[in-house]
Amino acid sequence: MKQILAGVETEYGLLVEGRGAENQIDDAQALVRAYSGPCFVGWDHRYESPRADLRGFTEKALRFDPEDAKFDVGRARSADSEIRSDRVLPNGARLYNDHGHPEYSTPECLSLHELALHDKAGELAILRAARAYSEQSGREVWIYKNNTDFHGASYGTHENYLIPRSLGFEKLYAAVTPMLIARQILCGAGKVGSETGGAARYQLSQRADFFTESASVDTLYRRPVFNTRDEPHANPADWIRLHVIAGDANMMPSCTSRKVGLIKIALELCKRNETPKWDIPDPMRAFRDVSRDEKREYRVELRGKNWTTAYDILDSYLCAYDSVFDEDESDPELRQVVLECRALAEKLRSGADVSHDIDWAAKHALLAQYVDSENVAWDDPSLRSFDLEYCNIDPENGLFAALAEMGSVAPLPSTEELEARLRQVFEPTRALARGLAVSKFGDRLMGASWTSLTFRGGYDPLEVLLPPDREYGSQLEATESVESFIDNIRGA
Amino acid sequence: MFDPDRLTRPASPSPDKKLGDDSGPSKPDIQKPEGGNELLKRMKKVDPDQAKRYRQRSGE
Repeated sequence: MKQILAGVETEYGLLVEGRGAENQIDDAQALVRAYSGPCFVGWDHRYESPRADLRGFTEKALRFDPEDAKFDVGRARSADSEIRSDRVLPNGARLYNDHGHPEYSTPECLSLHELALHDKAGELAILRAARAYSEQSGREVWIYKNNTDFHGASYGTHENYLIPRSLGFEKLYAAVTPMLIARQILCGAGKVGSETGGAARYQLSQRADFFTESASVDTLYRRPVFNTRDEPHANPADWIRLHVIAGDANMMPSCTSRKVGLIKIALELCKRNETPKWDIPDPMRAFRDVSRDEKREYRVELRGKNWTTAYDILDSYLCAYDSVFDEDESDPELRQVVLECRALAEKLRSGADVSHDIDWAAKHALLAQYVDSENVAWDDPSLRSFDLEYCNIDPENGLFAALAEMGSVAPLPSTEELEARLRQVFEPTRALARGLAVSKFGDRLMGASWTSLTFRGGYDPLEVLLPPDREYGSQLEATESVESFIDNIRGA
Repeated sequence: MFDPDRLTRPASPSPDKKLGDDSGPSKPDIQKPEGGNELLKRMKKVDPDQAKRYRQRSGE
């Protein structure tokens, strides 16, 4: 089975000593520019189309949060490309300032394991940029890998999956939406309290409070459970890039690979027309109900006054995958996801401890310990600070890092493994070509994007497209000129 | 084999359950992380007001 190409993009939370949200765009810009690792400066935005909708139309404009507009009153801003300050890394990743959040977009990966390592390597890149910026500015800088500020603002961790255009919106929506709702029980990052709707003590998901639509192209305001942005970053006649915005930022690499693996399972079943049929009339409510269910029953309302549970939705996909793909045909990593998810769901259902393997449960256990030992209530404001510090990516201060040091969560990759992923990508994807263009031919590189590379030529620029479905082999590493590099990519 | 009829019905184990039932799984037996004292020490270093002053712009 050919694996589905995927990537994860994380917008990090940023707090700078003595500064506020009104300074955040300037601070994130300066932070990204402080990154001192090898990189190419620039990004080619020509192929971007964030307003195009999978349902066949283009929105006139995307919605913006009116609260954010207040931060910008009376402020002049420079050009978008200056603000974004894009850096392309030698592993093919993109580091930039996205609406005031330092963002790391991983290189495209086929392997779940490699993708989770690259997501974790992104923390290292952002941490180094933050430390450099702190030194330059003389201000303390905190970076949080989370998705909420507890005051009503949310920022995303998005997953991207390259899939055939022939699948179309209807089939994708039916295949993916139930999984988005159900998978939070095995992948959620956990959150103290709620920011919209009724009160909640503790939730599975950082994002559940922020969905107001079942499907739409928006991401900044009135967010949907299923995002319909149609921006394939590849030939649009052949490809859709499924843009998942409903997931959480995970500290555990195992949660990252699990959340991506579960969507890949849904997509593989969709390709075979074997998707389990779940008719969920109100996905926003279902998402929120599962997120807030502290009884861990995780009921989901179905059309016709029936109901099911997130456990049964997950199980239906896992059983279908087992049934449709035999051992020779299936992706070994996805088979492992099936086994692991089945075991974890069973533990969760039986009330056993899953804090070693799931972010929300590890955070919950940490907070429960504090609540018990200090005799404070769950609505004590300090608990939100502990929630935040669980997601602090500085290993000297972060509470998740403390749990990892103590062996209370699954072991983390070594710094050496992450350093190696920042230097290059070990996947035969187009990220390899992009990364090599930076490391070998950076002096002639004029522009890079997910879709193409452009080099300075003799008279005119030389552009080479990066088809996403071909294998980029190690022979690219041996090329000695831009021209032979381009020929190699073109298969000449 | 996957049986779509079974999976689109309300979930087992109790088909008679309706929405609004209060019954559910018992509280899980969560074990506290090991090395609790060390962890508590680190937690006590956290500024309890950090989340209060943490304000972000909306992202995507």
